Amino acid sequence: MKELKIIVCAKQIPDPEAPFSAVTVDSKKKEVKVDAPEVISPYDENALEAALRIKESSKAFITVLSVGSSLSDTVLRKAIAAGADQLVMVEDDSFGRLDSYSTAYVLSKAISMLGEYDLILTGRQAGDWDWGQVGLILGEILGLPTINMAAGITVRDGHVEVSRLVPAGLELVEAKMPALVTVSNEVGELRYVSRSKILGMLKKRIPIKKVSKGDLNLEPEFLNTMELLELLPPSDMRRDCVIVEGATGKEKAERLFEIIKQIL
Amino acid sequence: MLPFRDTFFMIQNKWIFYLISGLVVAFVVLVFFYYVATWKKALSGKTNTNKRPNIRSLFIAIKNVFLGIRIFKDDILAGIMHFLIFWGFFALLIGTILLSIHEHIVKFLMGNIYIVFSVIMEIAGLFLISGTVIAIFRRYILKVKRLQSYTEDLLIPLFLILIVSSGFLLEALRIAQNPQRWEKWSFVGWYLKELFGPGVSEGAYPYIWWFHAILSLSFLLFIPLTKLAHTILAPTSIYLQNLPKEDGDKAQMEEEDSASEGSDKEAQLPQRPFLTLSHLIFLDACMRCGRCVEVCPSTLAGEDYAPRDFVQGLRAWVWQSFSSHGDPRLFTERSPDKMQRIWNCTTCRACLEVCPVYGPTFELVMGERTLAIEEGTSVPDLLNQTLERLYKYENPWMSSKKEKLGWIEEGSSIGFITKSFKPEFCYFVGCTTSVDPRARGIAKAFSNILRSSGLEFGIFGEKEPCCGDMAKRVGELGLFEEKKMSCSDLFQSYGVKNVVTSSPHCYFNFKNEYPQGMFNVFHYTQLIHKLIKERNLTIKKRLDFTVTYHDPCYLGRHSRIFNEPREIIRSIPGIKLIEMTHNRENSLCCGGGGGRMWQGNELNGTERMSERRAKEAKETGADVVLTACPLCLIMMEDAIKTLGYEKNLKVMDINELLKMAIDEEKR
Repeated sequence: MKELKIIVCAKQIPDPEAPFSAVTVDSKKKEVKVDAPEVISPYDENALEAALRIKESSKAFITVLSVGSSLSDTVLRKAIAAGADQLVMVEDDSFGRLDSYSTAYVLSKAISMLGEYDLILTGRQAGDWDWGQVGLILGEILGLPTINMAAGITVRDGHVEVSRLVPAGLELVEAKMPALVTVSNEVGELRYVSRSKILGMLKKRIPIKKVSKGDLNLEPEFLNTMELLELLPPSDMRRDCVIVEGATGKEKAERLFEIIKQIL
Repeated sequence: MLPFRDTFFMIQNKWIFYLISGLVVAFVVLVFFYYVATWKKALSGKTNTNKRPNIRSLFIAIKNVFLGIRIFKDDILAGIMHFLIFWGFFALLIGTILLSIHEHIVKFLMGNIYIVFSVIMEIAGLFLISGTVIAIFRRYILKVKRLQSYTEDLLIPLFLILIVSSGFLLEALRIAQNPQRWEKWSFVGWYLKELFGPGVSEGAYPYIWWFHAILSLSFLLFIPLTKLAHTILAPTSIYLQNLPKEDGDKAQMEEEDSASEGSDKEAQLPQRPFLTLSHLIFLDACMRCGRCVEVCPSTLAGEDYAPRDFVQGLRAWVWQSFSSHGDPRLFTERSPDKMQRIWNCTTCRACLEVCPVYGPTFELVMGERTLAIEEGTSVPDLLNQTLERLYKYENPWMSSKKEKLGWIEEGSSIGFITKSFKPEFCYFVGCTTSVDPRARGIAKAFSNILRSSGLEFGIFGEKEPCCGDMAKRVGELGLFEEKKMSCSDLFQSYGVKNVVTSSPHCYFNFKNEYPQGMFNVFHYTQLIHKLIKERNLTIKKRLDFTVTYHDPCYLGRHSRIFNEPREIIRSIPGIKLIEMTHNRENSLCCGGGGGRMWQGNELNGTERMSERRAKEAKETGADVVLTACPLCLIMMEDAIKTLGYEKNLKVMDINELLKMAIDEEKR
């Protein structure tokens, strides 16, 4: 059987599941800081898991592709430790705030550079901005059949079969490969990647390919950065719960009344 | 005439007897070699068992073999049964060997020695028969619940009864033919002889003799083929399990080295790199007695896990994977399926506490977890997320490092350890105590107590890493090593010499899983106990409560700290301490250990472990159930609320109670 070539697009972002108190919003620099290592966007991890499951049943070569600025191989190495075969990092300082179209454009150029492929998987949306556009635009640029919101993916005889989330439930769609699928969390969480596996990567030579902006022949008119007008922290949503105690109902009511009076 | 007996009375061709005996012994030895060969293969060349001889563990083995201490524990009838069978069988075996020595080497069974010998043999026979009768009675009439019955469980006692009765019959026939005066000391045979006339016995004797002899020898054949293998393997297991553990650090490294090697040649043999020789012997020594099932908090709560089944599953796996000619046991569990259930165990150590062969089942479960973690796909989602959080935020909860300071009350002056402030004691607050709203009470109270004692202490605050206990218990050894490094480095760079912990889990981890001698570690109960004894703490108030104390697993069973907490409680005037049914080493786990705190409800059975414990606490009629562990505190608090007991029963940490007693101001 022919080896399937799967490309998983993965974005590196601040941990969207960080505890509230670890997050600081810097309105001046218009940046969100999380006091922890960055992560692979969770939906992209779902996409990687989908790829790994395909690899379990048929021969496949998985390339993880990431575009961004200040990418960290300590973060992205997790993908290799989980079972991907190659990591391609397209990095440039100007890629930090590309808009969705530009990101998809850079990805498409990088994918063309990588050569043949059968299946491209992306997360349904990124865990930081949650726009959900890049995957679909990428499919458009590459002229691929594109299916979004996948809850399950199987590959057979040159076709990809996707059970797709719709409001009423699931619908089953099929497309001829090469195709692009954007993956939702229903596919399943990325398998656990142990620290010793990730650290083991430090000892071994990991297949990382670094690509710079110059290698891709990008046309500057398609590279637009988004401009943030304002970035504000959410308003303080903390809630407190007080249980009003008292021996009788009357006593409790009186105390409650006092508390309400204080607040008003 | 001197009392004696003719060993081969009326028997010809006694060489046949010796030939058969020789063959039987050779077979038994051969099969045990087969066991050893299989174990060796399962270890694939590793020699990770301590080999230095050790008097203490030899003593424990001897004590257990000859007195059957663990078998008497909580089940006197079982103890009596085993005692009778053991001593009966053992004495008869020795007796038979002595008879051969008497016959062929040195004649010594004569006169009074012969009489004593006869009496002992009679008693041994009676012991063996009554022991086996009790065994059958317990299993098939009393139907003791924890027993799991295979065919061998009936066959073996019947076999023994047949051997002993044919022996007595033989004796009666012999005495009937030549009733000497001294033979009345062989009292069973002496009474039975009345049944036979001399004529009958003369003809039947040789036939019955050979029947008895061949029966007895074929019984020996079954030793390595049935659960009787425990006669050899149980003492070995007890000895090996009680050897002092190798330096945790060294063993760990070896384990990891072999693990990484294993991954390169994965294709060859399935690997269980955590298995040691002592583990393998334990698996084969297990008699399926089910004492572990009886005490396992998970089994008790109706969950789909039982230590015995896990052990039998793992044993089946070993024989399936490594034996060249299959499993030598005739009646046993053949399917390794049951070893799949690896996330239920709270590692509470209750199974080891009662196991007659000292089997550390929870350790094997932890070993299986390391494989599941490395493999990755079978790790439950919630655990997956928890471990990620532990790596990123230094705690398994949904909290940031910043929140670790949340327990510090406004206006209280707690010193932070810095390069210039190096107090005598580092108070290692621990993740759960730092961030959980209920457990924070421990830190609040303990820091107050330390202040009133005048002891100099400080904390690391936001800098405090996780000790790694949770990672270790769920089998994430790489993450544990990282946490161990960050803790050790932190302690070293600030010259920390004494560490006191809130949690028994941190305490146990520092004490047993970290390099020895780097720093002293205390659980807070030890430190407070010392402070009270040295009169650095004055208890000012009388508290008229009735309390009961729940022993946390990692403080009690794992660290053997039973008395200090109780003495602290008793030092408060007015307090009346009553014990629950399960106390000290028999304490029942609250269900929070071994990573269970961060597991989903899908593992739950018919009842929660913590609720079981809370019900027991309520039965004592106490006003307060005390504990000394943040996880126990949270679990018990929850259980008492869900059961609706909170009006009558409060959960408190020992610190919280003690603080009430030493506070001057009114509460």
